[in-house]
Amino acid sequence: MSQLYDLRLLIESKIKADGLDAMKVKGQIGLRSGRVLALISPSTPDDPTAVSKLKQAVKEVLQIDA
Amino acid sequence: MKWNLIKTKVLAALAACLVVGVGGILVLMHYSFARNSQALAVESVTGAQKLFTILEAREISKMTAVSDTLAVNQEVRDAFAARDRSRLIELTAPLYTELKSEGITNWMFHTPEPDMAVFLRLHNVAKFGDHLKRPMDEAVVRTHAMVAGNQMAKAGFAVRILRPFYDSRGGLSGYVEFGEEIGHFIQEMKSQTGDDYALLLSKKFVDRQSWAESNALWKRRDNWNDSPNLVLADKTTATDNIIQFQQELATLPGEGKVLECFHDGDSVFVRGIFPIRDTAGNTVGAMFVVRDISSYYLAMRHTQNVLVLVTVVALTLGIFLVLTLLNRLVFRRLEHIIMVATRVVGGDYETEIRVDSDDEVGQFEKLFEQFRCVFVDLMAHVPELQEK
Repeated sequence: MSQLYDLRLLIESKIKADGLDAMKVKGQIGLRSGRVLALISPSTPDDPTAVSKLKQAVKEVLQIDA
Repeated sequence: MKWNLIKTKVLAALAACLVVGVGGILVLMHYSFARNSQALAVESVTGAQKLFTILEAREISKMTAVSDTLAVNQEVRDAFAARDRSRLIELTAPLYTELKSEGITNWMFHTPEPDMAVFLRLHNVAKFGDHLKRPMDEAVVRTHAMVAGNQMAKAGFAVRILRPFYDSRGGLSGYVEFGEEIGHFIQEMKSQTGDDYALLLSKKFVDRQSWAESNALWKRRDNWNDSPNLVLADKTTATDNIIQFQQELATLPGEGKVLECFHDGDSVFVRGIFPIRDTAGNTVGAMFVVRDISSYYLAMRHTQNVLVLVTVVALTLGIFLVLTLLNRLVFRRLEHIIMVATRVVGGDYETEIRVDSDDEVGQFEKLFEQFRCVFVDLMAHVPELQEK
């Protein structure tokens, strides 16, 4: 599995655990990172820039270090 | 408060309008008060000068009428022609008591030129035989006609008439003079206008010794040393606090001048001054005019407070209305677009943007909804999502 997909799973589990509005949170992270989370699959190749942007978006929106 | 928001900027602009509006009213009211108080002061000075002239003319007319009556009194004419002082006092003293109650304080008989001494002073019978040598004495000797006007005596200032007095054969037996102290004037002026007045005399025209004797006689404080050049002869106020003038009287313009507007405790006053000239045209004194404009000032302050209150209320209401309209027409709709855009990216392809208006924001809503539909359609054709 790719690092990007791991991050997607992390986000989804956090949303589920905290009972957050999934569409809103995914949208905020997607807009901040420039990636549509629904399009990240286990086969999505890792791109260091994309991974960094997604981690930064997660930190800003969910207040966690991914 | 976020300064990058349009809402904050609009609020700041409206608050600035409020401050400028209130400040403008305060400045305008201050300017208006300054102008009106100046106009009131000018009106006080010119009005007082006119009133003084009217009263002066009235008193001269009264004294002229009395002297006309006296001039045809056979007994008085004979007693004066015979230089019978006792008989003259006997005949005139009862009338003097009546005249005094009417304000005529001075009554004198003078012998004819070249000696022209005071033969009888009804207001001070013990004193006679002195020579006054005033400009009006010289004028009446020169013209043998009545001379009237303001004339300084050694210790005071009065409106006087001086006219020739003839015996029963038509020969000049001397002169008769009537006078009225100006102090009586200023009390009457105050009763008519409500303003306060003070009569200032130039020390150059007042005899120091006579001034001291006069004050002792009338049991008044000797105020000679209160001022270097002027002496306060009479006033309508209880204190001297609001009567201050140290300039040279000769520099005063004929129409008088406004001095200043000032506060004394809770009261606001304007004051001015106009010159008083004697029969020779010398500026021997000045009338100080003080008008209490506190009621006008309070009315102005009341108007100012009402205007400020109305402005604050109106602008606050305006700010509320503008912000409410902006919120409803712009900010809330923009927030809805942001929310929809966020949710579309998050995978919510069902929430639509409802376009209710074709205004500027409505046109953007319409465009964005079209864009959202394209995005949703695009996502529907992505292979990864189709597999799911």
